[in-house]
Amino acid sequence: MTSVVATNQTILVVGGGIAGMTAALEAAETGKNVVLVEKNPYLGGRTAQLYRYFPKMCHPTCGLEINLRRLKANPRIQVYTLAEVTGIEGRKGDYTVNVRLTPRYVNDNCTACGECGKAVEAEVSDAFNYNLGKVKVAYLPHAMAYPQRYVLDPSIVGTPDAERAKAACKYGAVDLDQKEETVSLRAGAIVWATGWQPYDAEKITPYRYGEFPNVITNVEFERLADPHGPTGGKILRPSDGREAKNIAFIQCAGSRDENHLRHCSRFCCMGSLKQTHYVQEAYGDEGKSTIYYIDIRAIDRFEDFYAKVKANPNVSFVKSKVARISQDKDGNPVCWGVDTEGYKRYATTHDLVVLAVGMEPSVKGVDIPAEVMADSSGFIMADPQNAGIFGAGCATNALDVNRAVQSATAAALRAIQVVNKVARAEG
Amino acid sequence: MSDMNQQMAARYKNNFLKEVEAQVEMGEWVKMCMQCGVCAGSCPTNFHPGWEHPPQEIFMMIRAGKREEVLTSPSMWMCTSCYNCYVRCPRKLPITHIMHGLAEYAYQLGVAPKFQPTQHLSKTFWDNCTKTGRVNEVKLTQTLYFRDGLMAGIKQGLAMKDVALGLVKAKRLNLMEALGFGHKCKDIKGIHAMLAKARELEAKRKGRQPA
Amino acid sequence: MADMKTAAYICKGCELGTRLDAAALVKTATKEGKMHLVREHDFLCSAEGVAMIQNDIDNEGVTHAAICACSRRAKTEAFNFPTTAISRGNLREGVIWVRPDTDEARETTQEMAEDYVRMACAEVKAMTQPKGNPNTGGVKTLLVVGGGISGMTAALEAARAGYKVVLVEKTGALGGWTAKLHKRIPTREPFKSPEDNGIADLIAQIEADANIKVYLNATLAKTAGAPGRFKVDIAVESGPTATEDVGAIVQATGFTPYDMNKLPHLGGGQANVVDQAGLEALARAANGGPIKRADGKEVKSVVFVQCAGQRDTTGEHLQYCSGHCCNTSIKQAMYFKDGNPDIDTVVLYTDLRTPGNGEDFYRSAQNKGVIFSKGAVSRVESAGGGCKVKFKDLILNEETEAEADLVVLATGMVPTSGPDLDALAEATRVAEGGDEAAKEQVIQLRSKSVLNLEYRQGPDIPQFKHGFNDSHFICFPYETRRTAIYAAGPVRRPMDTAQAVEDATGAAMKAIQAMENAGLGRAAHPRAGDLSFPTARLEGCTQCKRCTVECPFGAIDEDERRFPLFNESRCRRCGTCMGACPVRVISFENYSVNTVGAQIKAVDIPDEFSEKPRILILACENDAYPALDMAAMNRYEYSAFVRAIPVRCLGSVNTIWITDALNSGFDGVMLMGCKHGEEYQCHFVKGSELGRYRMSKVYDTLKGMNLEEQRLMDLEVAITDIETLPQRINDYAAKIVEMGMSPFKGL
Repeated sequence: MTSVVATNQTILVVGGGIAGMTAALEAAETGKNVVLVEKNPYLGGRTAQLYRYFPKMCHPTCGLEINLRRLKANPRIQVYTLAEVTGIEGRKGDYTVNVRLTPRYVNDNCTACGECGKAVEAEVSDAFNYNLGKVKVAYLPHAMAYPQRYVLDPSIVGTPDAERAKAACKYGAVDLDQKEETVSLRAGAIVWATGWQPYDAEKITPYRYGEFPNVITNVEFERLADPHGPTGGKILRPSDGREAKNIAFIQCAGSRDENHLRHCSRFCCMGSLKQTHYVQEAYGDEGKSTIYYIDIRAIDRFEDFYAKVKANPNVSFVKSKVARISQDKDGNPVCWGVDTEGYKRYATTHDLVVLAVGMEPSVKGVDIPAEVMADSSGFIMADPQNAGIFGAGCATNALDVNRAVQSATAAALRAIQVVNKVARAEG
Repeated sequence: MSDMNQQMAARYKNNFLKEVEAQVEMGEWVKMCMQCGVCAGSCPTNFHPGWEHPPQEIFMMIRAGKREEVLTSPSMWMCTSCYNCYVRCPRKLPITHIMHGLAEYAYQLGVAPKFQPTQHLSKTFWDNCTKTGRVNEVKLTQTLYFRDGLMAGIKQGLAMKDVALGLVKAKRLNLMEALGFGHKCKDIKGIHAMLAKARELEAKRKGRQPA
Repeated sequence: MADMKTAAYICKGCELGTRLDAAALVKTATKEGKMHLVREHDFLCSAEGVAMIQNDIDNEGVTHAAICACSRRAKTEAFNFPTTAISRGNLREGVIWVRPDTDEARETTQEMAEDYVRMACAEVKAMTQPKGNPNTGGVKTLLVVGGGISGMTAALEAARAGYKVVLVEKTGALGGWTAKLHKRIPTREPFKSPEDNGIADLIAQIEADANIKVYLNATLAKTAGAPGRFKVDIAVESGPTATEDVGAIVQATGFTPYDMNKLPHLGGGQANVVDQAGLEALARAANGGPIKRADGKEVKSVVFVQCAGQRDTTGEHLQYCSGHCCNTSIKQAMYFKDGNPDIDTVVLYTDLRTPGNGEDFYRSAQNKGVIFSKGAVSRVESAGGGCKVKFKDLILNEETEAEADLVVLATGMVPTSGPDLDALAEATRVAEGGDEAAKEQVIQLRSKSVLNLEYRQGPDIPQFKHGFNDSHFICFPYETRRTAIYAAGPVRRPMDTAQAVEDATGAAMKAIQAMENAGLGRAAHPRAGDLSFPTARLEGCTQCKRCTVECPFGAIDEDERRFPLFNESRCRRCGTCMGACPVRVISFENYSVNTVGAQIKAVDIPDEFSEKPRILILACENDAYPALDMAAMNRYEYSAFVRAIPVRCLGSVNTIWITDALNSGFDGVMLMGCKHGEEYQCHFVKGSELGRYRMSKVYDTLKGMNLEEQRLMDLEVAITDIETLPQRINDYAAKIVEMGMSPFKGL
């Protein structure tokens, strides 16, 4: 990565998750100059926060490693982290984009040696672990964070910790004078890959998320299962740290629901099927999983995976949307509802409930240019009339990783078509 | 329409669903159910006996063409109008209304279960209320308490006597109503005319014979 | 190399200077590494440090530099000197971060560091800086095979980016299955009603595009060459064979519906039972009017049976779900309902699968009065003038039945992906023994070929599961095992038209990229941009064919003298050929038997009484090596007796490295590679599997050397094994100590 001079033949990619990285890399490996803008201090997005992928049970960091190696080796990509697009002007083939850069308070000199992290005392919630744990105010977001540089939490400024961090750094990397700034970039085409956020489970009031500690979300469960997560990979109950061996997975927590998300989020069935593996992996035959579902959407060859999980005697399936959750005196969540296959009522006690919350496009409510159309769920729809700004990945639809990558690869070509046209016109 | 032979209508055909759409309040929503069961699970009466078929099952039965089983079912009479199901339904089905609509339709057809307490209360209340436009609480209570005979009525009356005295003291209950006195609407005829018109309109809308 | 000038740089930053004796490291690099120039620096990755190196390159003529600092994965951009051969001595993540800062540990930690300096010096001297594959082809024309919606989309999207396209379609018209659809599943808001299939417009665009050349009634008779220089013979029905030069290929050969005659219990073969394609034909024939059966009767009631012959667990039918059929049945039910709401339409499903905004389409169908019932169908019989569908209503929990004028079976997609190469290879093997049946089978399998590749390893792309050409990589869906040939649409994975459009656009992207990189002599994914390529000293070759057989990417053919013929632009630079070669004649400029061998030989082996065993780790650079790095970042300690060397893939490990290591006195060797088998995680698909297979043979060699089997340890390592890996290393080191020192020390 070096400094790319942005011109009207440059492709701007907004969002550095798997879709944005893919779009950027595919375009750059085809010889295009790319600027990649990411709002987190690191690349990788939500995939970096997953423990394993379905259906192979392989590790997202494995693909991230390859993508980072591609990125490090490619001089055509310039990356801005802690950066957000604040305005886009111009038109297809000639955009001017304002990007706000938030200070990291650590410059390029950082060697990731970790001395600043040792020196500071205060802690803040660990956003990478969905706030399930704490990090020091000088931290590396995760072991594969790229850029491989520490981050100082903004709360540090003006505190003794700031001076401690500065004093600990032998390389002059801690720079407390960094200020927020806005840079202006040119681009011929834009790929919008801002991804998704988990639906706010507190809005599903009968599930009492936020109130009952042993009701958590699917994305949080990923962090619990991950050996590099807040529990060191042990599946423990937040309330008392006890091993959670009997786990309920509630599908369509927010999705397929006109009171919440009207669309099906696609990935959550497979996500929960995958997570039953975590339970099996952790506790063997003592680990029991129950999936409460409306329809299991194990689409196309994922059916194999579903068949395998179905064959596991430690996993049971109940065709029912859980109506409500209560909590018994020991803090165990109790799921109440009706099994609709033959009308069987249940009130089942579990150690832990995992809500398979759906995907809300991050683009929803964001001030994106008017010509980028959004559907009723807030996902970007390709606008054939516009064709200068393209959606990619989960900004366009509820997609799993595989399809997000496909979508991003397609978006890269659409962007290339625009800049190639600019080049031909100017050539 | 009361010909029960219609329920011979073939399974999984539109006939009964269409009949429900035409005849049942909010019946056009029945087809929108996706069988998640959250209505059944949210129902506060769900864990009590009597709910033979929860709402989503009733909807499936309608779609399966099970006309007789649906209309003679006591299930929809169990609804307490708490609206939990309506609020929770991910498809926004007005389930409470549909339950009442089905009950009403079954009653109109004369196939609703006999001696169903909710039905008895509804009927009693309606007859009482529409007579003068205002409820005669004493007579309403009498009719309900003495439904199962004199001794049962006295027993229940005695059990509730403290409540009744309290209400009297607070001037919420007028014992003179027993003799036909008490509050009434000013224009009873007008009320009756309004109700007759409403029935006429409903009959017209639903294609029924005016009652 | 007369003009080789070597330099070593010792960094003292990140506590390297305080934890290690830097002066001793300088001495090691000078005396033992024999580097022409050795410098130390307090903060080598700083602008000043980098400038110092650049200055040496520019003004001192340094051509080869050993940078002894942090891991090759760190500060990659800072230490980027494109014209200079660079090795990285990993003193930070490889040494001080995995060792305790204690007086007792100081000696062994220093030994470790000195070895890594020796290794970095030895490696860089064995390297040359790659200049790119000279055997490039500059053809930038894309070949698209298949003229359905996927193929047409790939062609148009590539043409829009300014590339020429040759489109080959085996039938007499473009359009494929989509052209046979009355309408298609909606792709845009409000997702409520079927859309026009859009094919006429696509065909018009293709015909109007001067960059797209279409061959109809045409198939590929022969595909020879390599990315950037494919030569394709196109057999045209009733015409001469045409030849085209193309740079990359998108295979969009689609699917056929699963044969419903295989489903007699569901009425397959009965008069009033059709599959989804059959229903489309009826709807097109009706042209907006009432849909009629084959016998002319107007359909008043229809039952759709989902998952017919799909999601099968008996092993008789398709095991997978075709993904589109729920939405397709919804769409088809609307054909009836939109025309006449009184028609009874029932969809019997077990799981209704309408992801994303398909949920709106589902709702819309319900709103139109389509009845959906969760039911498992057991039989379809003809009854009266129509059919009787027997099923279990899973909601009402009862066996029941429904009558209908017409039954539609959602039978699913079978990919048109050509013969299974494994089956073909096996049949060919048997046929070579003279077996007539096998010969017939070979002819029959070959006749199914789509691409007719002139590749040593078979005529088509290897298939993954269920005959699809998917990559089975989550992060890299387009990867195939034939460079610059990409599958798109239902041949890759079951999908509907909207997905096929997206998929084909992505495949066109990859194909364009492959052509561009082939033209520049660069590798394709995952070593994108790599300029190194394999060469063979044919004078040493014994024609054993291992390289040609094992190459996971079909890059190596055999020439007329039966020597390996490398097609560099097909190569993915994994080094599996190099690992396979028993006479070690295959190498890359910057990665060879020698670059690794020299490192192994450079390690200082203490004598057998030292109680300091040495353990060699050969770690896959994609997963195991990063895991070691991250263990170090977390300061998980491990034994000072190990010396780790990253390898491109376990497949590239030549057994000579292991025997050399053991012969020169190493006490143990650990191999760390990715998972293989069905759920493989190897980025080169077969590399780790082949590597492991090869290693299993080394145990015999060990026996021959009178060494314990445990001297070689083969570990499956995932990138996340950050905590467990140090423990496994320590356990192994303990085992080696227990076993005692190798008898080969000092020989």
